[in-house]
Amino acid sequence: MTRFRLLISEALNSIRANLSTTVAAMMTVFIGMFLLGVCIALGSWMVSWSNHTKKEIVVNVYFCAPETCKTTATDAQKSQALTRINEIRSQGLIKTYKYVSKGDAWREMQHSSPELTRGLRGTNPLPDAYKIVPSRGENAGKIATLLKNPPLKGVESVNYNKKVSERVLKVAKVIEVAFALMVLILLVASTALIANTIRLSIFSRRREIEVMKLVGATNWFVRLPFVLEGLICGFGGAILAVILLSITKAVATPALNPNLGASTDVHAWPFALTSTLMILTGLVLGAIGTVVTLRRFLKV
Amino acid sequence: MTPAQDVDLDIQNTGALPAPDAAATVSAGAMIVCQGVTKRYDPNVLALDNVSFQIDKGEFVFIVGASGSGKSTLIRLLLKEMEPTRGTIIVGGRDISRLRPSRISQLRRNIGCVFQDFKLLPNRSAAENVAYALNVQGESSQNIRRKVPEVLSLVGLVGKMGSLPNQLSGGEQQRVSIARAFVNHPPLLVCDEPTGNLDPDTSVGIMQLLYSINRTGTTILMATHDREMVDKMRRRVIALEDGKIARDERRGGYSSQ
Repeated sequence: MTRFRLLISEALNSIRANLSTTVAAMMTVFIGMFLLGVCIALGSWMVSWSNHTKKEIVVNVYFCAPETCKTTATDAQKSQALTRINEIRSQGLIKTYKYVSKGDAWREMQHSSPELTRGLRGTNPLPDAYKIVPSRGENAGKIATLLKNPPLKGVESVNYNKKVSERVLKVAKVIEVAFALMVLILLVASTALIANTIRLSIFSRRREIEVMKLVGATNWFVRLPFVLEGLICGFGGAILAVILLSITKAVATPALNPNLGASTDVHAWPFALTSTLMILTGLVLGAIGTVVTLRRFLKV
Repeated sequence: MTPAQDVDLDIQNTGALPAPDAAATVSAGAMIVCQGVTKRYDPNVLALDNVSFQIDKGEFVFIVGASGSGKSTLIRLLLKEMEPTRGTIIVGGRDISRLRPSRISQLRRNIGCVFQDFKLLPNRSAAENVAYALNVQGESSQNIRRKVPEVLSLVGLVGKMGSLPNQLSGGEQQRVSIARAFVNHPPLLVCDEPTGNLDPDTSVGIMQLLYSINRTGTTILMATHDREMVDKMRRRVIALEDGKIARDERRGGYSSQ
C-alpha cells in the first residue's frame, strides 16, 4: 500500500513538475484521439450506408406472360422455380424471397409510379415474379447464374440490374478499404506523434532518470511513475477528445441529417463504443509509448 | 556519526548472486579488487590498460591523474554503468561482472556515489533528494522521516531541508549529495571529483565531511584533481597515466616525490 501511494505521489509530483510537457503530451493524444473518433464515426457511417445500399440489391425472376412469351407460366413451372430457389437458399446465398403476383406488381406500380399505370390505360403487362433478397449483395450474380443454368421452363428472365449492382458493390468495397486504411494510417500517425511527444518529455528528464538509476532504483521503480503519467496523459487526452466529439456530434448531426436523406438503418457505430475505443486507444498509446521510449534511457 | 553497516556489501546476502570464485580468494579485508582491468571504448581509445589494485575495507584512497587518464572510467566500471573489456572487478567479495542486470540496483544501493555535478533531482527539495535513496529500497516512511533529518544535520543542512537544489550553493548541493550517498550507511563511498566545482574553502568542508564518514568505517575511493587536498591529507594515492597505474603509494601526494 505504501509502495502504491509512493508510486501515485511520484507520478503526480512528476506531472506537476513537468506540467508543460505533460500538457503537450496530453494535447497530442487529444488531437490524435479526436481525429480517430471522427474517422471511426464517419467511416462506420459510410460502411453502414454501403451495407444498406447492398441490401437493396434484389434478384427478380420474371415468369412468362402473354405479352412477353406468348404463353403464361404454369403453376408446375412456378413450383419448379420455387424448388430451385429453395435449393439455392439452402446454400446460404438467399436471405428472403417473396412471390409477387401480376396483380400485386400492378398495385405496387400504381402506388410508386401512378403516371406509368395511367399511360397503360388499364392493361397490366407486368408478369408474375419472385423477388429474391441475397444474404449478401455480392451473392446476387451467383444466384442469378444458378437460376439461369440450367434454364427454368416458364421463366422469361432473371434480372438483378447487373450494372447498378456491380457499381454499388464496387463503391462499397472502396468505402470499406478506405475506412480500414484511414483508421490504420491515423493509428500509425497518432502513435508516432504521441511517442515523439513522450520522447521529448522523457528526453528532457534523462538526467533525472540517470540519477534515479545511480542511487539504486530498479528499472520498474523508475518506469512505473512514468507509465502512470503516460496513462494519465492518455486518459486525459482521450476524455477531452470524447468531449469535443460529442459536441461536434450534437452540432453537426442535425445539420447533416436532412441532406443525407438516408434510411433509418444507416448509422455510425454507437457513440459509447467509439468513446470507449478512443479512451482505450489513448490509454494503450500513453502506456506503451512511455515504456518503449524509456527503454533507451534506462540503460545506465 | 553512525558507523557504516557491516562492511560486507549487502549484495553478498542475496542468494541470487554467483558464488565466490577463485578471484574472490583475495584477502578477506578487501573491499575492491581490480585484476587486469582493461576498458577499450573503440579500437583507438584505450581508457584503462591492464589495471590491477586492491583497496581494503575502511581505506581512504585518492585516484589522481590528468584528464583522460581513466579515473572516471574506473568509477563507472565500479558502479557497473558499463562493462570492462577485460579483467575482473570484485566489490565486497563478489565479481560484479557476473552480476545479473536485475541485481545492479542492489549493488548501487550499497555503494554511495558523489559526483562533481552533484546529480541531484532538480524538482525535489534537499530532504526529498535524500529520501529518494531510501524510497528506492522500500524503507518505511517512519524510518525515512527519522533518517533524513539525521543525515542532513550530519552534513550541516538541517535548516535547508525544504530548499530546492537551485536555492542552494554549490557546497550545499554537494553536502546534500553526500547525505544522499551516506544515508544508507553504505560500506563503500565512490566520489568522482566531489570538489571539482567548489572553491577551496568549501572544498575543505567537504573533505572534512568525507574524512569523518571514513572514520565510521566506510571505505572511500575518490577521483580528484585537487592537488592541495591530496597533499594535505597524505592518504593512499593511486596515480593513473594513460590508463595505466603509474604509482600506488600508501601515504602519497598528488605528484610523485
